[in-house]
Amino acid sequence: MTAIDPETRIPDPIELDRLEEERLRAAAGLAPLHAEGGEYAGFDTVGIPERPPQTERERDVYSLDEGEMLVNMGPQHPSTHGVMRIVVKVRGEIVVDVDPVLGYLHRGIEKLCENATYTTVLTYVDPMDYLSTMHNEHAPAIAFEKLYGVKAPPRAEYIRALVVELNRVFSHGLMMGFLALDIGGLTPILYSFINRDEIVDMLSAISGQRMLFNFFRVGGVNWDTNDEFLSRLGTWRGNVLRNIEMNERMITENEIFRARTVNMGRLSGDDAISLGVSGPNLRASGVPFDIRKAHPYSIYRELEFDVITQEGGDSYSRYLQRIAEIKQSIHLIDQIIDKMPHGPVQAQVPGIIRPKPGRAYGAVESPRGLYSVYAISDGGPNPYRFRMRDPSFISLQAIPKLMPGRLVADTMAVMASFDPVMGGVDK
Amino acid sequence: MADVRRPWAAADPLGRRRPLSAPAAAGALIRHLTERLGSDIRDLWTDEDTVEVQIDGARNVDVLTRLRDEEEFAFWFLADAAAVDYGPGERFEVVYHLYSSRHPAWLRVRAHVDRQDAHLPTITTLWEGAMFHEREMYDMMGIVFDGNRDLRRIYMSPDYRSFPQRKDFVLPDDAADSPAAGVSPLERPETWDLGRFRDALTVSSAPTYPPTDLPVEDGETAADTSRPR
Repeated sequence: MTAIDPETRIPDPIELDRLEEERLRAAAGLAPLHAEGGEYAGFDTVGIPERPPQTERERDVYSLDEGEMLVNMGPQHPSTHGVMRIVVKVRGEIVVDVDPVLGYLHRGIEKLCENATYTTVLTYVDPMDYLSTMHNEHAPAIAFEKLYGVKAPPRAEYIRALVVELNRVFSHGLMMGFLALDIGGLTPILYSFINRDEIVDMLSAISGQRMLFNFFRVGGVNWDTNDEFLSRLGTWRGNVLRNIEMNERMITENEIFRARTVNMGRLSGDDAISLGVSGPNLRASGVPFDIRKAHPYSIYRELEFDVITQEGGDSYSRYLQRIAEIKQSIHLIDQIIDKMPHGPVQAQVPGIIRPKPGRAYGAVESPRGLYSVYAISDGGPNPYRFRMRDPSFISLQAIPKLMPGRLVADTMAVMASFDPVMGGVDK
Repeated sequence: MADVRRPWAAADPLGRRRPLSAPAAAGALIRHLTERLGSDIRDLWTDEDTVEVQIDGARNVDVLTRLRDEEEFAFWFLADAAAVDYGPGERFEVVYHLYSSRHPAWLRVRAHVDRQDAHLPTITTLWEGAMFHEREMYDMMGIVFDGNRDLRRIYMSPDYRSFPQRKDFVLPDDAADSPAAGVSPLERPETWDLGRFRDALTVSSAPTYPPTDLPVEDGETAADTSRPR
């Protein structure tokens, strides 16, 4: 492997020709050929009805210079991780600008939640980020418990932490597989899904649902652990490290994988903070920010773990960060099972609760970063305002920042390394 | 399953309301806020892990810049920016949640905005990542952020005309009025020609369930209706 300087852009023959031509024209005393910003091309070029550009940025994206072209990726592109369209401005094979177009999956979940009772809100948030369903329920549960002034019993908190960490393991495991898949390797995703299906079966044994678990309640969880869950947990715990390692052996030192990820999409810590990137993507850029340590919720104060960071900030570091966090989560699961107390799993909370007027903020560390809920109560049976901050929605802003100067084929590889889930992006 | 002997009754009291109290170590933050930003902030309020202040919307950039850059605050991470509508005749609020490694509490800054003239300076100059937050607030609530370079709809289609998360937004919405509606006739119920289907249904000779033409004797029905179907 030869190291690539992250600042080096791929030389663009058309750009070089243009510069040469401009140099000759300037030497001959002629006016420059191309005006700044290029010519406005319009929306027709990407197959949507024509209309005037609404903002300065939109006009920039849709203005084409010599040799440039607009290409749609999506909304049914197989590797956009859901339904999303990216307008890519290319010059030959090289990306000049990227404009994500969202909203294909927008369901208005915030508005739906404002018209639902507090208990039913916990069912509406499930299909948001469908790979971290347990985290989606955790943040509103924390916020509503603060609003209502009720506390979940300790066993419930331990079960919560257990299922949440299990969810993190399968989400990160899938990210490993999907990243390899977007780069062209088909096998790792199969191993990821073996691991994922074991966890999903386990969680469906405890919650009764396979994907949208609907497991958390205000003041506790729906069910206590049962025999099937515990036996599946034991089997999984015996196999998981071997499964992960199998995937690692296939991906981590793979030369093609490294060529496509090392030094690709390098995001500095300062840029990541400014862009609001959080979670593993931020920690891969060297910023030790983990909500489980920064504002410990649930039982994380009682568990021993360190905030893992990587130095690189490139796609490869984000991948290594996921692997390290899988192992950390398994370590946390061991601790949780060792310390789990006996007792009830649900506090005495009525089915329809009417919290006193107030405001509460609940934030959790989801596999994609800081997932938070801001709930306002006006004393009624449903939240007056229910706001969710989805980490992959915010992290997506890094793509237009990172891609200019890179190849089209790397757009999806870099995007996959951020692990966005469109169900969460579009809410 | 470490301590099997631990009786569950020794667990925390269940279902009992906890008193709201200020976070134990947030005193320094409250002191800094009142000393250094006393003229800008009002209605300081605390929760178990949050400190909340209210400001004027027009002052948001000044206040947030000081909160981010001054060493006593060092709120370097914008956790969330969201809009709240308090209904017609009331106000909008743009709510910022900030994180600092120096203080153990979240800081919530509520910026008041006039509902009739919802304008606010942008904070994308402080955090680039506020761009999607502000685009979402514009899309859902119709709050305009002055100086934002890319303030356009993010979820709804570009020609959508109302703001669906406002409290006075009533369903059915005006999506049918939008020029984008009716991309395909299937999405426009008013164009559906249901007449022929309805005629076909009325003269249909397809068998029905439960069968209606069976002889019915006294005291019993043709189909067992006691079982839910």
